[in-house]
Amino acid sequence: MKISKTIYLFFLPGLFLYSIFFLYPTVSALFYSFTDWDGLSDAYQFVGIGNYERALTGDSVFRKTVGNNLKFMLMVVIFQTLVALAFAMIVLKNTKTNLFLRALYFFPTILSSVSVAFIWSFIYDPSLGILNQILELLGLDFLQQNWLGNSDIAIYSLAITQIWFHAGQMLIIFVAGLQAIPEDLYEVAKIEGASKWQTFRKVTWPLLAPSATIVIAYTTIQSFKAFDLVFAMTGGGPNNSTEIIATYIFDVAFRSYNFGYASSISVLFMIIIAFITFLQFKALRSDRISY
Amino acid sequence: MISKKSSIPALFLIPLLALAGCAGESPDSSSESESGSEDRTQISFIHWRGEDKEVFDDIIAQFEEEYPEIGVEMNIYPSEQYQATGQRMLTDGSTGDVFTSFPGAQFEAIANAGFFEDLSGEDFVGNFDESLITVGEKDGQQLALPYQLVFNMPVYNKGMFDELGLEVPKSWTEFQEMADTLLENDITPIAFPGADIGPNQFMNSMMMNNAPDEDVFQKLQNGEESLTNEWWVKTLEDFQLLEQKGYIQPDALGTSQDSAMAMVANEEAAMLATGSYHMASLLDLNPDLELDLMAPITVEESEAEYEGINTATFMLAVNSNSEKKEQAKEFIRFLSRPEIASQYANETGQHLTVNDVEYESEVLQNTAYWIDERKTRFQPRFLITNAQVEAAVLSSIENVLGGADPMEAAEEAQQIVEENLE
Repeated sequence: MKISKTIYLFFLPGLFLYSIFFLYPTVSALFYSFTDWDGLSDAYQFVGIGNYERALTGDSVFRKTVGNNLKFMLMVVIFQTLVALAFAMIVLKNTKTNLFLRALYFFPTILSSVSVAFIWSFIYDPSLGILNQILELLGLDFLQQNWLGNSDIAIYSLAITQIWFHAGQMLIIFVAGLQAIPEDLYEVAKIEGASKWQTFRKVTWPLLAPSATIVIAYTTIQSFKAFDLVFAMTGGGPNNSTEIIATYIFDVAFRSYNFGYASSISVLFMIIIAFITFLQFKALRSDRISY
Repeated sequence: MISKKSSIPALFLIPLLALAGCAGESPDSSSESESGSEDRTQISFIHWRGEDKEVFDDIIAQFEEEYPEIGVEMNIYPSEQYQATGQRMLTDGSTGDVFTSFPGAQFEAIANAGFFEDLSGEDFVGNFDESLITVGEKDGQQLALPYQLVFNMPVYNKGMFDELGLEVPKSWTEFQEMADTLLENDITPIAFPGADIGPNQFMNSMMMNNAPDEDVFQKLQNGEESLTNEWWVKTLEDFQLLEQKGYIQPDALGTSQDSAMAMVANEEAAMLATGSYHMASLLDLNPDLELDLMAPITVEESEAEYEGINTATFMLAVNSNSEKKEQAKEFIRFLSRPEIASQYANETGQHLTVNDVEYESEVLQNTAYWIDERKTRFQPRFLITNAQVEAAVLSSIENVLGGADPMEAAEEAQQIVEENLE
């Protein structure tokens, strides 16, 4: 079939928007990462790889943010995926109750992140917060914590909020993936005498791998970019224990007026996400099978 | 050195903000006038104080009545957004003919970018208290005029103190005795909002006498001073003592300013470790409170040099890129008139840096003695011009309140300072 040349014109609006909103900022960030631009002045100087050198060898806060981000990402990816998958299996059949439950689980996703931050800051408040009060009511006083004020656990408290916020979104992807698995395969597994675990391991999981890949990749990227939640709930504190790369970029760019350096961290940030996502794709691809 | 067009950063920023969802929150804009005549010049006034909108609307209406040839369009941005993007709006001169700046890092950045019009020699500068506007000076030029005067030191329940027969302590020993008495009466001495503004407010009065040298943070940024020196380690040790003796509430690092205010309003705590700007809100929560200000004196009485902290902020300035500088200056001249400043002060519950302001409210009158009769120093935190250094200083307080050894916390923070030395 011969494609008319005019069809290429239809690419132009998308290409234009992509160039303006993605390509240009990305190339700009790369360009400024080699400068000392303060974000305000009309002038700047090239500093070579100085910004990258500083980030990789001379900035202990940046190293800490990478560590925080990895902790946050691991907790969110593992638990959000498990929670979403477990709930998806529970509400898989299209009954009225399940449709309602799916909508209910999805509900947090439609809230604004600032609202979520406000709600959870109140839940976590050490003296007035409902979480500590419930624990006290249940006689579990020993579990009461200073959820956002203790630098050892604050990042995990944020991760729980992130999971609550986005698990419903991933649940929908898993439900779609699970519903696409042919029923025949389960019948065959049953006839062959496979246990529930064997059925999950040999049938469900391999066929769910494409959905899982999307969920895990998306969750990873989302957890690296959880700027708004962290910014609104802890501002990176206490003692930088919840500072993640995205909030640090904001601080460096807009509080320290060091756009050049912030751009170099943004580029490194992009590389880190791309690398982790690549590893995940490689790992999950090996699990995929087709029938 | 390479020169660049200001449209480039703007183009870079717009998509970022749009994608981040920040652009969705449009500024609160108001203008009391329409451009009725072609000769009328419209100036833009940008700031971050949403709570002052009503009084500014009224003041702008008065200004426009008196100067019908000038219109004022006011745009108010949330303070975080203003801090992040306010200065960028000044680049082409179309916005922010009159703008405001925070002291410290933002003032330095805007000054370095050359966006401040020099106001030295303008007649209205004389309307301000000379000693309170030095923070708006740089290299011998008056670049901005601080309008508000706040006292960043604890607000205390004077009525409670009177009832318990407590005097305002004049030394660290007396402060601890006072705190012990409060504890004996089941009252938390200090409500400390460690989750948000507590560290950056309370550090000022906690260090003011430990480091009486007002250049100490400048020296720190030059590498001439260190956070591991006695002045800062002692400050951290004092914070540790507050935490260990229960002078601040448990889990203070998880306490927000709203929760801390509730503690003081409910009389569970005697002091709120923030500043004078919370007095009106506390009285809204509990009108029966009798309030005053008190900073902890962390040394012995004979060694104390300062009694409190002041901050001249909300710095009015004219955009050097503006084509309407004269009209912008006229507006600042109008704001600096004693009767207009008095209206602003009384309706917003703030002390001002303008001379001859008549304070009408009881709280403002009762605390006005801090302006002239008490020896206060400018908020040290705002003298840290590098935001990364400021963050390191504040983190060391959080670190200590989280259980770290003061010297170790100081060393950790000093490492970050050294990484950020110019």
